[in-house]
Amino acid sequence: MSGRDQIPLLDVRNLTKYFAVRGGLLRRVVAQVRAVDGVSLSIGKGRTYGLVGESGCGKSTLGRAILRLHEPTSGEVLLDGHDILKLRRSELIDRRRRMQVIFQDPFASLSPRRTVAQIIREPLDVHRIGTAAEREERVIALLDDVGMGAEIRDRYPHEFSGGQRQRIGIARALALEPDFIVADEPVSALDVSVQSQVLNLIAGLKKTRGIAFLFISHDLAVIQHVSDEIGVMYLGRLVEHALVDDLYAAPKHPYTKALMSAIPIPDPKTKRSRIILKGDVPSPMNPPSGCPFHTRCPDVMEICRSVVPATINVGRKDLPHHVSCHLYS
Amino acid sequence: MQADTQPLLSVRDLVIEFTTENGVVRAADGISFDVHENETLGIVGESGCGKTVTGLSILGLIPSPPGRVAGGSIRFMGRELVGLPDSEMRNIRGRDISMIFQEPMTALNPVFTVGNQMTDVLRRHRGLTRRQARDAAIEMLAKVGIPVPAKRIDEYPHQLSGGMRQRVMIAMALSCDPKLLIADEPTTALDVTTQAQVLEQIAGLQSEFKMAVVLITHDLGIVAETCRRAIVMYCGRIVENAAIERLFEAPRHPYAKGLLESIPRLRRERLDELPIIPGRVPNLLHLPPGCRFAARCPRADALCREQSPALVPAGPHGDFIACHHPHPGQQAEPAA
Amino acid sequence: MSAVAIPAVRRESLWSKAAWKLARDRTGMIALAFVLLYMLVAVGVTAGWWAADWSEVRGGKWEAMSAAHWFGTNLIGQDIFARAVYSTKTAFEVGLVVAVLATVIGAALGAVAGFFNGSWIDEVLLWLMGVLDSIPFYLFVAAIVFAMQDNPYAMHIAMISTFWTSVGRLIRGEVIKLRGLEYVEAAHAISVPEFVIIIRHILPNTTHILLVQATIMFVSAIKSEVILSFLGLGVKDGMSWGLMIAESSQEVMAGFFNNFLAASVLMFGLVMAFNMFSDALQDALDPRKVG
Repeated sequence: MSGRDQIPLLDVRNLTKYFAVRGGLLRRVVAQVRAVDGVSLSIGKGRTYGLVGESGCGKSTLGRAILRLHEPTSGEVLLDGHDILKLRRSELIDRRRRMQVIFQDPFASLSPRRTVAQIIREPLDVHRIGTAAEREERVIALLDDVGMGAEIRDRYPHEFSGGQRQRIGIARALALEPDFIVADEPVSALDVSVQSQVLNLIAGLKKTRGIAFLFISHDLAVIQHVSDEIGVMYLGRLVEHALVDDLYAAPKHPYTKALMSAIPIPDPKTKRSRIILKGDVPSPMNPPSGCPFHTRCPDVMEICRSVVPATINVGRKDLPHHVSCHLYS
Repeated sequence: MQADTQPLLSVRDLVIEFTTENGVVRAADGISFDVHENETLGIVGESGCGKTVTGLSILGLIPSPPGRVAGGSIRFMGRELVGLPDSEMRNIRGRDISMIFQEPMTALNPVFTVGNQMTDVLRRHRGLTRRQARDAAIEMLAKVGIPVPAKRIDEYPHQLSGGMRQRVMIAMALSCDPKLLIADEPTTALDVTTQAQVLEQIAGLQSEFKMAVVLITHDLGIVAETCRRAIVMYCGRIVENAAIERLFEAPRHPYAKGLLESIPRLRRERLDELPIIPGRVPNLLHLPPGCRFAARCPRADALCREQSPALVPAGPHGDFIACHHPHPGQQAEPAA
Repeated sequence: MSAVAIPAVRRESLWSKAAWKLARDRTGMIALAFVLLYMLVAVGVTAGWWAADWSEVRGGKWEAMSAAHWFGTNLIGQDIFARAVYSTKTAFEVGLVVAVLATVIGAALGAVAGFFNGSWIDEVLLWLMGVLDSIPFYLFVAAIVFAMQDNPYAMHIAMISTFWTSVGRLIRGEVIKLRGLEYVEAAHAISVPEFVIIIRHILPNTTHILLVQATIMFVSAIKSEVILSFLGLGVKDGMSWGLMIAESSQEVMAGFFNNFLAASVLMFGLVMAFNMFSDALQDALDPRKVG
């Protein structure tokens, strides 16, 4: 999207991930949960792609499927033009160096019985990078990069607050000097005043190291702050995608509009007309026919109930704005 | 906080202590505020600031041990609630004061149907028969926007979605027509679009039922949209208590100001860097001698590090602030 | 939000935190002192410091308590105190062997089942645990004892092969839970080999369960040993509290209680102390209370 003519760093094509639901005595597959249902996106070098959606929309599964932490059902994930889904496990190890992940829950993402230094050094150990002394030095440098002092290296995760743990998790992700990081709700478990510290840290890393991010969040304000472009997910599908300013200035999809209007704004003077959606998100085990959003859409038409809308570009050729909605076809 | 009307709820110098393995912590320390009839008061702050225990203490729900109300008074309609025997507290709880919690799944009993749990409350507090209680419950469910309430009433909590469960909780809390509703992070576990539905529901019901609401939340956006007045808490203390317009327009306490500036919000132009509050919240076991925010405060001086500021009135409109060097606030005081 | 703030920061691992907590538990420490005392007795017997003469006839029939025979003598004039002390060693040996081996087997097979949850390996192991669990314990022991033709370790084998299943199930469940945690995913993300993930990231976080289970099995093994010996299925060429109680069944009719009392009081003391220690250990190691 950002790349004018060169190939993007990461190109995801038609990725799907179905989870089988087993039941009965024989543990037969009784249903499929379509967690990710044919998603395509691409991320240029040093760019941040913000992925937004509500719980259960499949955004975390998509992030994990790209990294093959969950094995995708079908599709392609091209890293520099090479499909990493075709790699065998042993070949994957080398590629993993270039793709890392930051998790949501800073209390579950660090092994409780290992010290900070052991946690950050583990990727270097696994990939046999440098001598023992060099690894030690590297750990100190990484701690410094995330704004923590060397004196904490022998302490344990439970001694730290959520924000500090998240910094340790970021240091671990940086250890292998990746080109691409999936950040899965990295600040949503943190307190407001700590959130901004971690967001600034991530923004700084992007600037100084040119790391590309897939930044997953349910919070549109956070997403807007960190992203260059944004994708909106609903029930396993990408319903809208545009550059950040385009999306905020002129959201197209009714779901995006509702989502944006639903955010409480910390300014008592702004009174907006809010689009209140009816009902709840349908179960991904039994998604509606046609457009997945038609059960809650304020602008629903007859065609929406039966035909899945195609993704079309409503923007310019060089500044695409993709939307999957019958209102625009 | 008009002086001429008697407040519905009046909390004075409330102190709540918890005994932990490493010593006694004061989760709330010298909390004072009033709630008037029909008013929505927000209590905002970060985790551990004492906002939840303050809410729980009003209903006498502080888990004891390890916690206890160690001082101060809570007067509700002129009646002292601190030290009230549990049997009397139970009569107030659910009838005059109700509470809704963050996680509706854990607040509902999974082995009983929605109707079972709702009629229980109605029969106890309003003395209705089984039949009447069921009708009243269905009516309440309809009021909170649950479709087909006559069918939903016989379902179990796990059959409902998160938003639906929170509505059931609200219906239960309002079924006895309380004068005061305490809502502790009522929408934090919900998605934004569902949150919008639920908040709108609460606002609508408030004017219909003519009740006061104490809304406890970490989300400043929710406070701005639903409250008339808000209290900002930090580390067990109230740092500022102001009407919404003044708090958001010109916050006076440096913590309130820092918090407001640091939240990412939808803007026309994006900032390169978010303003931050440096450092982190001090440990309640090792509090500094002076102002608890001093170590993170850009305006702090020697006085702040030595002496804790008291919560004092600020301005003619019933605002309060606890700061040695507050920001000037609004220049032109309206109708001053 | 949590109602109480995070407690003070101390530079400690979870282990030293647990040890510190255990040390402050008075009941637990008293129980531990008793257990250590029993252990000293057992070690002394093994080293031959005392009770080496447990099988010698050194007095008359049913002598009362005296300075020479603290608990009196039995039917054929053997010293009851020496026999009771010697039985401590038997109990400890059975307890230790069974607890250690059953824990190791249970941990290994449970971890394998949990890690390969959903595959045929898991199914086979679950089936095996189900089968072993469904056989009545004493029938199973009797069968093994008869099958092994008076092998002195028949009892141990019977206990180990049934006791490991409870550890196995617990560890399997814990591994399934831990496998889904983000720090295990994080390890996958940096390509840590599967085997290393089990050893380095999963098993260390189950050790608190293993320790507590080992102490529980230790006690069960001692109790089972006494009952089996009483039934004549356990200790053959040694001494056991169970054998003493079996012996005493005729004596009690005749009004001589020394044998019965010595065996049951010593066994009760050990089982009680160990149970209390096990409870204290469980409290100290509970990850929800630590950290």
